[in-house]
Amino acid sequence: MSSILGRVVATERRPNTPHEFHFWTALDSPVGIGTIVRVDGRDAVNGVLPHVYGIVTEGFSWTDLASPLHDVMGFDGLPDAESLHHTNRAEIRLYTAAVLRHVPEEPLQPVPMGTVFLADESDVEVALRMDGYLKPGARTGIPIGVYRAGGTDAPIYLDADFLIGPEAAHLNISGVSGLATKTSAVEWLLQSIFTHFPAQKGSVAAVCFNVKGPDLCYLDQPGDIDEADRGLYEKCGVTPDPFGNVQYFAPYKSDGVSLNTLRSNEALLDNVTSLTWGLREVLQYAEVLLNKDDVDAKADALIDFIKENVLDKKFVDPMLERPHSVTSFADLDAWFRDVLRGLEKKDDQSWRTHHVATIRKVRNRLSNISLRCKGLVADDGATSDLPFGSFQDRTVYVIDVAGLEEDAQDLIFARVVTKLREHLEKRDLGVQHVVVFVDELNKYAPGDGPETYVRKMLLDIAERGRYLGLVLFSAQQFRSQVHRRVVGNSGTALYGRMDGDELATPGYAVLSPAIKTKLATLEKGQLMVRHPHFTQPIFVRFPRPAVMRGRDGVSRYPAAQSVSLHAAVLRTLRVLDPSLTLGWLQDVTQLATDDEILRARNDVVRTRPTDVRKAFAAHFRAAVVPRTASRPHAPAPLPAVPSDDPYGF
Amino acid sequence: MDVRTVRRQLAALLPEARPTGEGEGTLELLAASSVDAPRLISATVLEGSGPLKARRVFGGPEPAFRAFLDGTQRSQVAAHLHGIPIVVGTAAAVIRDRRNRRMHTWSPPLVETRLYAPRDLVGARAWESLSALSRGQLVDTTDREHEAGAHPFTLKDAAYHGVQAHREDLERRLAERWCTVENDRLFIDGGISGSEAVAVSSCTVGVVKSHRTLYAEGPALAVVLGLGHRERSSVFVINEKASRRTKVASWYLRLRDPSGRDPMWGLVRVEIAHPGPEEKHAIGDRADEVSRWILAEASPLSLPDARWDKMVYGIRDCEEFLRAVAG
Repeated sequence: MSSILGRVVATERRPNTPHEFHFWTALDSPVGIGTIVRVDGRDAVNGVLPHVYGIVTEGFSWTDLASPLHDVMGFDGLPDAESLHHTNRAEIRLYTAAVLRHVPEEPLQPVPMGTVFLADESDVEVALRMDGYLKPGARTGIPIGVYRAGGTDAPIYLDADFLIGPEAAHLNISGVSGLATKTSAVEWLLQSIFTHFPAQKGSVAAVCFNVKGPDLCYLDQPGDIDEADRGLYEKCGVTPDPFGNVQYFAPYKSDGVSLNTLRSNEALLDNVTSLTWGLREVLQYAEVLLNKDDVDAKADALIDFIKENVLDKKFVDPMLERPHSVTSFADLDAWFRDVLRGLEKKDDQSWRTHHVATIRKVRNRLSNISLRCKGLVADDGATSDLPFGSFQDRTVYVIDVAGLEEDAQDLIFARVVTKLREHLEKRDLGVQHVVVFVDELNKYAPGDGPETYVRKMLLDIAERGRYLGLVLFSAQQFRSQVHRRVVGNSGTALYGRMDGDELATPGYAVLSPAIKTKLATLEKGQLMVRHPHFTQPIFVRFPRPAVMRGRDGVSRYPAAQSVSLHAAVLRTLRVLDPSLTLGWLQDVTQLATDDEILRARNDVVRTRPTDVRKAFAAHFRAAVVPRTASRPHAPAPLPAVPSDDPYGF
Repeated sequence: MDVRTVRRQLAALLPEARPTGEGEGTLELLAASSVDAPRLISATVLEGSGPLKARRVFGGPEPAFRAFLDGTQRSQVAAHLHGIPIVVGTAAAVIRDRRNRRMHTWSPPLVETRLYAPRDLVGARAWESLSALSRGQLVDTTDREHEAGAHPFTLKDAAYHGVQAHREDLERRLAERWCTVENDRLFIDGGISGSEAVAVSSCTVGVVKSHRTLYAEGPALAVVLGLGHRERSSVFVINEKASRRTKVASWYLRLRDPSGRDPMWGLVRVEIAHPGPEEKHAIGDRADEVSRWILAEASPLSLPDARWDKMVYGIRDCEEFLRAVAG
């Protein structure tokens, strides 16, 4: 048993309650804000000695001075007159602690007078009610970090039932930017989840949206960690390795040639797949890209008509010049042109109840999508997508949207999450649980501003996702600026170093001034954790993720420079077949247009054939076999002039 | 055994006793208004030749005390039995040891509580009950010498002085224990002449803050009252044979600047062991040395205690400690 740390005190002016108590300690005690302590009561209740666990939330110190002026006088008004004093004044360290747990729980009484001890590892387990989910055989604990105080190093576990579902779910993390806390914490937690997610709960994968910089671009590459981090990994039972299975997805740049990601170095392309969607994929989420001002009820009706009657069908109409089969934006534009031409010929204002102005407007808006999202949306209908239906257990799927326009980011986010939800509902995603990580949540689900499709979707995940196994891990700098239903539904909340202005907002009113001060000065690698099992916020340390940091990755694996079409296509194809050469590619494509080459590449990347050479070449017409020019036949000689020809000269 | 407990138990043992109310003041508060009459006593100067003089204490303060000794007392009327006060008196003493500028308790403090009642007036049955209640710690306050011995005030005074004597006894016991086991210097609040063992020890210094008795008359009194900051009087001898106290060397010392203040402001009287014949010539140097030790304790201030001009912080710490453990 550890030595006595302090003693509980209570006065009429500062009484103890069932939820709060006070204790004093020696001046050199290792107690600080966030320290977990145990109180051993003196008197048995119902034959049982009560034990109370608490966490220090406030500290006070004072001396026997009645007025600061007395100290001034004692020093003769000279602050440096230390030599005058040979005795230090009597001084107190008084702490206020919030109760974490009473044992026994009933009867719930004010905290009794008693002795105070530093909580050891087993005390921490009981205090935070982790004993309920760390039982052998029914263990659902996911280490989030290590609680460290006064020589106690205790791993802190979150309950998987309350982190991934179904009891509660979702996680939200707040903190100022630039301290590598938010992203690092999520990367570490994903490693921890992949290691400790209980087998009986099934499989789990993660989908991460890389929204800025190279943060998530090197999750499969080893990073530098020090001995202290290794100690934390060991304590938490996690191997300090990078993620074993990571798949990257990124759309092309607007040139359609190179991938729009910082992870474009040839050495890392083996698990990078292009993200390309066609008309069908985009039209389903048209409302993401078309705002309410654009799409009124009439336009909405026309879009529905197109989706139901035109898209992927053979469309015939007496007014049109020819039958249409619309599978791409190019086909759709041809269809629109035919419709408008027909109306002009008839000199009519409406077609199938749709006014010509509405038709022109919808054509304009839809055609515009392929321009605004160029690189993501293919005119030709080619599609390269996440492997919905064959998601793998313990795999991270990173979608790099950092270099995209806001519209394209919204479109990707909306479609991917919706597809995940659809597949999880049908139980055919390939895994039973998916963690979706979204950074900059205040941008996607702001607390104010217009209602957007993305925000509605995030609210839907936050409120109903846990039943499906769709879990939202979100991060932002200012929690107060995020829609409160999104953060409110996050069962677990993490806080890194916080901005003072943010801490002054009403959402943090429940925290004591000392906790706020600690939050405002948290070191890198420290977090405050709120979790349904913890009745008070807990401070933990977590290790640096064992993956390469973004800026290290960028310097070690510089992004590929812009290259010619042939070189770019070759680089993509060589991932599938390293034996391909530039000469071969140029030979095969010598008569093809750029669009044809890109279409062939997209098709090969999508289908991943065994024989890449053959599959790619099959897209091009065979070049005419060159033949050696033969000597032309000599013209027939002129007949000889008759000797009697009077005109023959 | 505290006043409340005594009240409760008295109610059971002696139903005729009338307990006092919660707001009853302590006898120490009452005694403050009826203290001994001021006295002037002429003392023999030990230092140099001639009358008592003011002497400057040269040199900076030198911290030399390792520990501080003080005692407290608290006495309160618990009940009246047929108008006769039954007093509960608690005396306590402690030595606080200074280590690395922080104060710690040296050996357990002495805290004792006694009951005070006049045996002749309360009757045999009540005396037996009180004796049982106090577990033998019952003190007879019967005053057979005065005509007004049955006056409740006389009985209260007797109880108060009984508690005071008890406190002095505890202080003496602790001081003697210190002198037995330690060699370092001990600052004692009050005189040291009550115990011979303490009075002759070279490690004890007594510092008296109250001046109801001044050991100076005539011009010597003017010298004492006119002492400036960091000045002391000549060393003189205190030899009160009537009270059977041990002879000690003493002098007055001004701890703080008295400008614009009462003549007693910051004035203390120091007692040390009387020097032997071979040490007598150096008594002045010894007084200067001890004075420097005491001046070093003038800071930190003992505020908010009202006696902060004379009280050193170590003694205040003793009092605060005893207030916490003995009430």
